[in-house]
Amino acid sequence: MFNVSKDYAPPFGMIAPFFKMGSFFYIMGIIFLFFIKSDFSHNDLNLLALVHWYLLGFVMMIIFGAMAQLIPVVMEVGHFSIDLYRLIWPFLTIGTFLMGIGFLVSPKILPYGGLLVIVSMSIFLYDTIMTLRHVEHISLTVKTVAVSSLFLSLGIFSGFMMALGIGEGLGIDMDKWLDIHVVFVLGGYVTLTIMGLSIILLPMFGLSHGFDETPIKRAFWLMVAGVSGYSITRFLGTVQWGELLSLLVIFISVWFYLYQIMIIYRSRARKENDIWAKSMYFGYGSLASALILGMINILVHSEQLLLAAGWFVIMGFFTFLITGHLYKIIPFLVWFERFSPLVGKEKVPMLHEMYPKKVAQYEFVFSSLGVVIGGLGLLLGNDTLFKVGISLMVVGGGCMFYSVKWMMNYK
Amino acid sequence: MCTITKDQVYKAISTVIDPEVGFNLVEMGLIYDVMIEESCNVKVVMTLSTRGCPLHQMITQWVREAVERIEGVGIVEIDIVWEPAWNISMADERVKAALGGGGTMW
Repeated sequence: MFNVSKDYAPPFGMIAPFFKMGSFFYIMGIIFLFFIKSDFSHNDLNLLALVHWYLLGFVMMIIFGAMAQLIPVVMEVGHFSIDLYRLIWPFLTIGTFLMGIGFLVSPKILPYGGLLVIVSMSIFLYDTIMTLRHVEHISLTVKTVAVSSLFLSLGIFSGFMMALGIGEGLGIDMDKWLDIHVVFVLGGYVTLTIMGLSIILLPMFGLSHGFDETPIKRAFWLMVAGVSGYSITRFLGTVQWGELLSLLVIFISVWFYLYQIMIIYRSRARKENDIWAKSMYFGYGSLASALILGMINILVHSEQLLLAAGWFVIMGFFTFLITGHLYKIIPFLVWFERFSPLVGKEKVPMLHEMYPKKVAQYEFVFSSLGVVIGGLGLLLGNDTLFKVGISLMVVGGGCMFYSVKWMMNYK
Repeated sequence: MCTITKDQVYKAISTVIDPEVGFNLVEMGLIYDVMIEESCNVKVVMTLSTRGCPLHQMITQWVREAVERIEGVGIVEIDIVWEPAWNISMADERVKAALGGGGTMW
């Protein structure tokens, strides 16, 4: 029988630093956007500093923290060693700082920062792989965790090669390795992980049942084929149409994924539009927008289209899926730690009472407006519009920072 | 002869609330059956709204403790089943109304 023991749930004190550091990197990352001009190139070193700061310090930090709780839920087995998570966030924090400094000031530091990031991710992968060995029920989510772990390993390797290239002058084709690195990390790890987790979490929170899972299965295999095909053909550099075909396969995979999300949405029993639901709407809307922009970019090759597509994927899709789920995950962990022992003995709060609703609403409004306006600024090459968007996002980020603190201190 | 009734058991379990949705397990339709033996041992057949519920173990424990508070009850056994799978049609009308359209977009 499926069983999740209380022992599988991580102590809140162990996971809290991930959320605290993630929120810090989030707000600092948005403020850092003020120093970026809307007409930057996609391989500008300032931009690379920001992207790594944001993706490692915020996106990866929160994903790793959330995985401490979610791995037992989705794999139906306890962690190999939950205590390893105590090591992940300090290495990731210091490594991300050093990488940021490396990109901005001194490229010599880059490999050292990269090495610390590799250590933190290797610890995460070690626990995940050792946990996978005990899994009995091989669900689609388990497959995504396994495959995305492999892609993350390859993403780390390709990233470290580039760090050596920038910091130590290793003679590699940087454009080629950058493309492969981006596809491994964003497509192979982050998107596959989100696909795998969302097929569990969205029905759980929306109370969806009995829906067809064919689209997500297709999305999974197409993403695996697309990421593998792209990295191989780009690495060999001999079959140009192979790269294009692989990108198309990735796009088709994401459309199947969006179709699956729509099926889950239609079959949900819980129709209230709380902060989580609104964040999901905006996140998936951003993903659809990015896909359209990305497909147009294949046809007309425009740097602005590419940047705007990347903007909507990272600032719209990844960010809103993460921040939306923070309003579910943090209250649950706090409730589990502080209130679950009191059930039956005294009145305990419900989870929806454990986040600041008004501030969360402000966060959503300011951040979503900021993403849309900032994205338009990038698309039109209008720096004023871009800065207006960032200003709104800073206010939204401040609200999120306040909300996370409020939820963690709920008593 | 055991004098504990099914209604008493359901009433006891209705004190257990799912903290995520805010409704008790009985009105959610998660309790499939209650069997009471002559010796007052009680078996509760129930499900959860999702297989991946991280509160699985705790909800089982809360149900057991709630039933054990009934005077004269013997051994309490909780049987979690996944067939038939729970769906919203099993919940009572109050839950359906509250979940199905209580909120507004803004």
